[in-house]
Amino acid sequence: MSSTEQGTSSAAPAEPTTAPESAAAPEVPESFYYVHGKDKVVHKVSAGALQHSALIHGMISNLGYTEEQAKANPFPFENIDGDILQMVVDWCNQHKGKPTPPEDTNLPKQKEKLFDLVLAVNYLEIKELLTYCCKQVAMMVKGKSPEEIREIWMIPTDAEDEAAEKEAKKRAGKEAAGETAAAAGDAK
Amino acid sequence: MPIRLLSLPDKDLQYALNCMDICDLIALSLCSKQTKNFAKLSNRYIEPISVQVYDNYVRFEIIPWDIHQPIIPITFLASSDSRINLDRGNGAELWRKRKFTQSDWIAHFLSIFDESMIDELVISDFCPISYLDNVKQIIPKCGTLRIPRDCSMELTKAAILKLAPLAEEVEVNKNIFIDDISLFLSYNLNALVIIDRITPLKLELSDLLVLNITDLTVVTANVTGRELNRFLKLWMKGNYTFYRPKSIEFQLNFGMPVNCEEVFKGIKYATVDNRRRLTRADGKELLITFSWIYVDFKFL
Repeated sequence: MSSTEQGTSSAAPAEPTTAPESAAAPEVPESFYYVHGKDKVVHKVSAGALQHSALIHGMISNLGYTEEQAKANPFPFENIDGDILQMVVDWCNQHKGKPTPPEDTNLPKQKEKLFDLVLAVNYLEIKELLTYCCKQVAMMVKGKSPEEIREIWMIPTDAEDEAAEKEAKKRAGKEAAGETAAAAGDAK
Repeated sequence: MPIRLLSLPDKDLQYALNCMDICDLIALSLCSKQTKNFAKLSNRYIEPISVQVYDNYVRFEIIPWDIHQPIIPITFLASSDSRINLDRGNGAELWRKRKFTQSDWIAHFLSIFDESMIDELVISDFCPISYLDNVKQIIPKCGTLRIPRDCSMELTKAAILKLAPLAEEVEVNKNIFIDDISLFLSYNLNALVIIDRITPLKLELSDLLVLNITDLTVVTANVTGRELNRFLKLWMKGNYTFYRPKSIEFQLNFGMPVNCEEVFKGIKYATVDNRRRLTRADGKELLITFSWIYVDFKFL
């Protein structure tokens, strides 16, 4: 299993750990790649663990990186918070080469983290983790009343929806008027 | 800390909705018009809804197709338009939705599960006749109006008069039509089923002639071969060009079997697949299945 490193700069990713050699048959050394999130902390992840992410797997296959190139150019995921990326990397490491269990109890319990995790996992295209996260989202409102659900999931009322729609239309109208005026100015 | 569910990417939102229990989905559908649409889009299926009418209240159950999901009994109290009582297995709950009437509630449930109507409306013997007008306002349309045997004669007649227009089929489980069967047979109904094996329904030629119901089924009927023969002869003469019924089905009284020869005496017919086909001069056809205790007329 690969290790994950934190607190290092993107310029100096850690050396990959050498896979233990079996006495019977030497194994092919595992290749490692590097990813970082918004906080620029670089995480070292094995290719096996990264296979969970269709996005990264596709990038690796398409780029044909050597290990040295990968070390020098970590995959940047600037739209993902560092702690969320850490969770994703941990999950990929924990489930590397293993069949995914029907339930995952290691998912974050804090709701705001769960929401960010869903967005990150959706972006990274990690299907199994996304399934767990969505289940967890659904479980947040189990047995709740409509009013409680509205609070937990921040669902706007019909009046709020209508007001937002009006506001959006107004803004769109203003922008369109602005563009027309600018075009008329340019023509002059 | 709440999360903005509706900000999730569409696919994830849909997946999260698919993971929800039907009762949680119903709760979500009541939050706003937008969440109602999401609930509809998750394409959940339930068993057809059967509504029971009790003493000043109606009650029904939402039964998911998925047998692992709980059944949700829902009760509407007569005096409380904007609220419903329900039980999701954790004790009774009361949900309110401002400005919602009882008919709005019913329409909401039908809409989110993509049902066009209440499948069955069952009147209990506790139901006061005065409450039938409320039921008429709550239930827009139903498949079958079922009136059980234990309902009184007054309640049964009142229920037919007030609620039959909502129903595609009316099923009455007691012969309460001693003197006025002709009146009920002349109503403009799609289907009427009368079931009473203890007191057979006596039918005469005049009853069959005034019949204005598309499909009539009687179990059991007391009708003589002579009356049926007279009816067939009149039909053959073409006196009833605009005769509305499409199907008349009788199960006859075991003690009073009908003589086949008497029924078809003087009537020309052809036998097709064990059925008798009568053809009128104007080309209209009547297909009859006949046994000593069963008669089925199909007007083609």
